[in-house]
Amino acid sequence: MLWLGVIHCVVWFPLSLVIAEEVEPAFNRDILPILSGNCFACHGRDAHARKADLRLDLEQAAKAERDGEAAILPGEPEGSALYRRISSKKASFVMPPPESNKSLTPDEIKLIALWIEAGAPWEDHWSFTPVTRPALPGVAQTQWPANPVDDFILERLEREGLRPSPAENKITLLRRVTFDLTGLPPSLEEMDAFLADVSPQAFERVVDRLLASTRYGEHMGRYWLDAVRYGDTHGLHLDNYREIWPYRDWVIRAFNENKPFDAFVIEQLAGDLLPDPSRDQLIATGHNRCNVTTNEGGSITEEVYVRNVVDRVVTLGTVYMGLTLDCTRCHDHKFDPLTMDDFYSLFAYFNSIDGKPLDGNRKDHAPILKIPDAHQAEQLAEYDARVGQLTKRMREPWPTIDALQETWEADLVRKEQAEESGGDAQKEDGSLVLGDWYVVGPFYDNRRYLNSRKHGPEGRPVRLDETFTLATEEIVRWKKRPDWKDGKVHSDLPGQTAANFLYRTITSPQAQKVEVSLGSDDGIIVYLNEKRVLSNNVSRGVAPDQEKLQLPLKAGTNHLLMKIMNYGGATGFYFALTSGETTIPEDVLAIAMADRAQRDPEAQAKLVEFFRSKVAVSDELEAVRSELTSVREKRAEVDRGIPTTLIWREATEQKPAYKLNRGEYDQKGDEVARRTPVFLAAMDANAPNDRLGLARWLVDPNHPLTARVTVNRLWQQLMGTGLVKTAEDFGSQGERPSHPQLLDWLAAEFMAGGWDVKAMMKLLVTSSTYRQSSVLSPALIERDPDNRLLARGPRFRLDAEMLRDQALCLSGLMSEKMGGPSVKPPQPDGLWFSVGYSGSNTVRFVADKEHDQVHRRSVYTFIKRTSPPPQMSTFDGPSREASCVRRERTNTPLQALLLFNDPQYVEAARALAERVLASGGDTVGARAGYLFRLCTGRFPDSEELADLISGLEQDLTTFRADPASAAALVGGDASASETDTDAGELAAWTMSANLMLNLDEVIMKN
Amino acid sequence: MKPDPVGQFSEQFSQAITRRHFFGRSALGLGGAALSSLLSDGPAAASPAAALGELRHFAPKAKRAIYLFMAGAPSQLETFDYKPRLNEMFDQDLPESIRKGQRLTTMTSGQKRFPLVGSKFGFKRYGHSGAWVSDLLPYTARMVDDLAIVKTVYTEAINHDPAITYICTGHQLPGRASLGAWLSYGLGSMNSELPAFVVMTPTWTGRKEAQALYNRLWGSGFLASKHQGVALRSQGDPVLYLSNPPGVTPMTRRRMLDRLARFNRRTLDAIGDPDTQARIDQYEMAFRMQSSVPELTDVSGESKETLKMYGPDVTKPGTYAASCLLARRMAERDVRFVQIFHRGWDQHGNLVGDLPKQCHDVDQPSWALIQDLKQRGLFEETLVIWGGEFGRTAYCQGKLTKENYGRDHHPRCFSIWMAGGGIKPGIVYGETDDLSYNIVKDPVHIHDLNATILHCLGIDHRRLHYKFQGLDMRLTGVLEQSPIRGILL
Repeated sequence: MLWLGVIHCVVWFPLSLVIAEEVEPAFNRDILPILSGNCFACHGRDAHARKADLRLDLEQAAKAERDGEAAILPGEPEGSALYRRISSKKASFVMPPPESNKSLTPDEIKLIALWIEAGAPWEDHWSFTPVTRPALPGVAQTQWPANPVDDFILERLEREGLRPSPAENKITLLRRVTFDLTGLPPSLEEMDAFLADVSPQAFERVVDRLLASTRYGEHMGRYWLDAVRYGDTHGLHLDNYREIWPYRDWVIRAFNENKPFDAFVIEQLAGDLLPDPSRDQLIATGHNRCNVTTNEGGSITEEVYVRNVVDRVVTLGTVYMGLTLDCTRCHDHKFDPLTMDDFYSLFAYFNSIDGKPLDGNRKDHAPILKIPDAHQAEQLAEYDARVGQLTKRMREPWPTIDALQETWEADLVRKEQAEESGGDAQKEDGSLVLGDWYVVGPFYDNRRYLNSRKHGPEGRPVRLDETFTLATEEIVRWKKRPDWKDGKVHSDLPGQTAANFLYRTITSPQAQKVEVSLGSDDGIIVYLNEKRVLSNNVSRGVAPDQEKLQLPLKAGTNHLLMKIMNYGGATGFYFALTSGETTIPEDVLAIAMADRAQRDPEAQAKLVEFFRSKVAVSDELEAVRSELTSVREKRAEVDRGIPTTLIWREATEQKPAYKLNRGEYDQKGDEVARRTPVFLAAMDANAPNDRLGLARWLVDPNHPLTARVTVNRLWQQLMGTGLVKTAEDFGSQGERPSHPQLLDWLAAEFMAGGWDVKAMMKLLVTSSTYRQSSVLSPALIERDPDNRLLARGPRFRLDAEMLRDQALCLSGLMSEKMGGPSVKPPQPDGLWFSVGYSGSNTVRFVADKEHDQVHRRSVYTFIKRTSPPPQMSTFDGPSREASCVRRERTNTPLQALLLFNDPQYVEAARALAERVLASGGDTVGARAGYLFRLCTGRFPDSEELADLISGLEQDLTTFRADPASAAALVGGDASASETDTDAGELAAWTMSANLMLNLDEVIMKN
Repeated sequence: MKPDPVGQFSEQFSQAITRRHFFGRSALGLGGAALSSLLSDGPAAASPAAALGELRHFAPKAKRAIYLFMAGAPSQLETFDYKPRLNEMFDQDLPESIRKGQRLTTMTSGQKRFPLVGSKFGFKRYGHSGAWVSDLLPYTARMVDDLAIVKTVYTEAINHDPAITYICTGHQLPGRASLGAWLSYGLGSMNSELPAFVVMTPTWTGRKEAQALYNRLWGSGFLASKHQGVALRSQGDPVLYLSNPPGVTPMTRRRMLDRLARFNRRTLDAIGDPDTQARIDQYEMAFRMQSSVPELTDVSGESKETLKMYGPDVTKPGTYAASCLLARRMAERDVRFVQIFHRGWDQHGNLVGDLPKQCHDVDQPSWALIQDLKQRGLFEETLVIWGGEFGRTAYCQGKLTKENYGRDHHPRCFSIWMAGGGIKPGIVYGETDDLSYNIVKDPVHIHDLNATILHCLGIDHRRLHYKFQGLDMRLTGVLEQSPIRGILL
């Protein structure tokens, strides 16, 4: 009687759709989820939360005798405290207690009883046991399996009394596999070729062709970019542009080159630690930089630092191990054998980056790598060569200049002697007089004030008695600040988002160039004698030497005006004179004092350099000097245009890591050392205890998780649902695999085959399982609605990127260009602006214009994380703020509106219509057939064809009667003369193409 | 099968099974019941789209909610938390006995002094409740007897991005589901032609350099994306891609839709996938939205008296006043949750210049919304919430003068108000110290605030959860929280 109850109950349970043939409850499958979901919170690993000092997560503890009885007494439910408590009707006695809001169903209680009766056998958690390759199960229909995948699938089907579906028809299969391996539909030529190839190897040839296509890497890379949360902005607060697309391109290349997955992991986690890392291996470490970052004014650095590192650790858990490490940030894991110590020991691998936690709102948040292209590298070399020549010229003997130098040296010696002799020789002629600082401001409080030149004293002579009226009607005037000394950072400017102006005079007895060192928070503009000599609109904190500037002083009084622009938070500046007659460095002076004949060449060269670059006034010298400056500026210009990418570089000193009480950054507990979680096999003792060791440990054949988690994701990608549905959680709270043996077999095969991703993909798509028809029978829907048993082929909606790419591809619009900066195809106006921070450099969306940009594959679309493109988010594309290893697949009216009306889809429909008119034959029937086949892969049947034609003709009538509407739809430039097509005809076909792009059959992978 | 959304089995799975079963049957003959989407039927239809459906934890007082979110953090000191003592202590230093080493943002942690400053704006007492309200909110003052003003909300976050993410999604880091997404998930939709959760981001007139918003604030996080808030825009299409392309008339579209349905029904017959049926339905709903949304946003039928109540800005699309009027129209149409994010409340400096403009933006329209709801008999069943993500400091940030000052972020106490469905009217809840620095009575964590909102809508916040990454995710976090009993009816 009890048994019937069990069968009844397991209908409930996801993976045990039917387990009637099995005789007793299995611990991992049936019992552990009950204990874990209901008991472990108080009787599990978390020592703080533990009640009654009882643990039920450990076999020994659960079966140990306590006060004369054991929680679990094998073989005797009634003698087990656990059973008596869960089956009690008394509120004061029953477990779980009513206030926990948890309760067991009668069926669950019966399952526990059965299990105890059977001796309460314990098992380790399935995903934490090492992967061993299971033997292939026996099957009855021996001719069905094409490869071992099918043996496992079929064995289960036979056990369930189900039959596999027949093989999918060729064309649907071709479309399915082309989408699955390249993210795109097959072309007509590819369809024809496959249909014509009747050899048994035809399908394999297709698979090989697709795996060799560079479109493969773009498609595979996209899933990975979801997992590692790649984005083109920092993701928090200002959400400014972040430059890391070279990493995205690296991912795509890695898939195309079929980089073994173990190397793929190692290079991303620790490429910088490999011996003599290549540029690509450094780019790969961008993986560790994909977390969202902030530079919000007021942020506490230590707090941001902790958040950044936590994000990396949590993502590591999700992506590689399928572990929910986030829980262990604050407490020991309640369900899995993970502790806080484990968490912060992993934290210690990722906390020592050679860079700051706050991103500075910069696209190139250090550490970074510059990635010049060939042309840029060439230009740099050219400029460097010229700089070399000019520098050499500056060192060579130069009689006219050398003569000047001799005079200067003689003067110096004379003055020095006069000073030594105590005579009151006048101050040397070159000395400068720097006046006191004056300040006016703050000009606040919006960017108009910040960036406009109208409101302050810019571009005209400064009058210290001038007053300025702000928009707030506040009046500001110049104030003297004699306390601001040079060579120090001053941070007491009036704060907030505002501009302040600083002014001083510099009196020079002669025309000369002096060098000054400047710093500012944030941007700075410098005027000398009303002429702008520097402008750098950056966002940064103030420090010395952020700018080096040559000031060409005239004789007499010079006027120096500086505008300091602050975008939030504290503001400040730094000023120091770093050259000028007054400051001849001691060592240079010493050389000049020495007898010319006695100087060694090195000293002489130093003196020459100083004189020629800082002192000498000569036209011929100036020519060289100014060319040098200009070449250096040009070089800097090229250098600024070189793309950069965020990478990881380890700090020279390892930062100590602490266990943080409740996960709070300022609640430091004990210091922790780097180590891997205790419950998993330890790292090889000879491995370096750093990220490299950690990465190798992840892909060690003994690691139970990485391979399982990875092949599960590949399965999910193809079949719609993973063998483990909770692709992100392989712990005891996650779902158990539907086919545990198959998962292990695949993981073993993956590792044994050298982590060969293409081979794995090929294995999966050439299985009979994958190649089944996806037609559903009502019985099958009833029996296995989610297709977990795989009695049919996969059928589900295409992802956002595939839908858009399909439209671009079918219409012939798609640009095949690969790589490069992310692109901005059009999106409705105002989406960024309605949420963006006014001072962000991504607050205004400006659509790209070029074909290579607007018609690129979606993997290259710019992702602003706080406002992702609607073409992606409407179809469940994640925002890339956090790791996503499994997308939802929803079905909403907003999707219908987008596919109908998004101008880019309408444009695609029009281009598709043009294509049909140009290449689809001459009759309406031929054209309709061509359109239909292009989109679905198959020829329409007569009913479908008739429907297409009659619809087209209706539209044709409408648009011909209303040419204005037709022109509005297809644009005025519809070149009727060239194609012999009128706008009405094109408009009608555009509607038909729009219809096709909305068909269920076209939106779905069939 | 026992529909037990709070049992140990993941509800999304049971839901999926239910839905599939239902679909299965519907595909086999029940026809186009609208099932899966953000436009699902109400609870009465036993819509599986709602995790709770009819099984509300207790009888809800409110059927729907409107959240007037003041992004950037309004100063409690110039709105509801009257502190005359601060005016007496002008330019005196914040005593360490009050600050108690509390962490400050790095915008002011470097200040040598923390000079106290009181409100430049006067306060008066209003209504039977005698609530103090600043002169900046004259309309709000007139309705204090309808409001429950809570002066003691607090949070842990001290910067905008984490703080607003925290109050809107229950977590300081991105990745969780927003309040509205939880409501859509838990309660489903009551309107088959409009989304369950609508968001508006109106213009503002105070500080131009406004704090950002983030789509995550109305995102669905780990919940299905159909639960995310739909932005109702004042620019272009009110709902993205709502309009047909130029040249395509509703008639042309209708004809195409009919053709599309014929094709899709053939696909359904051939392949038998219930998703195809769902798609047919979604396309029909999309078509209906093409008329229901413009009908919603067309306010030409509003009476002069009504428009006048909201003030002159109501006729300018994209203003807060216009958004409030739309919120009322949505309440009439049973949109479950409307959230208006009004920006510009971050008064670090020039508070005296900017705050009056911000208050002026929202004061009259918020009042008008309440009056309008009352006039239409919707007030008792609509919960209205007004407030920001944290408070502001009693001391001045930057230069303090007699005329002007600024205030930094203050997480330890801030003021909000709630009104309507489930809320006790005419009370002031909680007390802060003389400097509005610390709470002395009845602290309300932001999780408690969210628990209160859920409670008014009939949800026990502890029992609305969703299994993700091995955890039972809840809007209100893992610690003990509770609704604010003192303001509940």
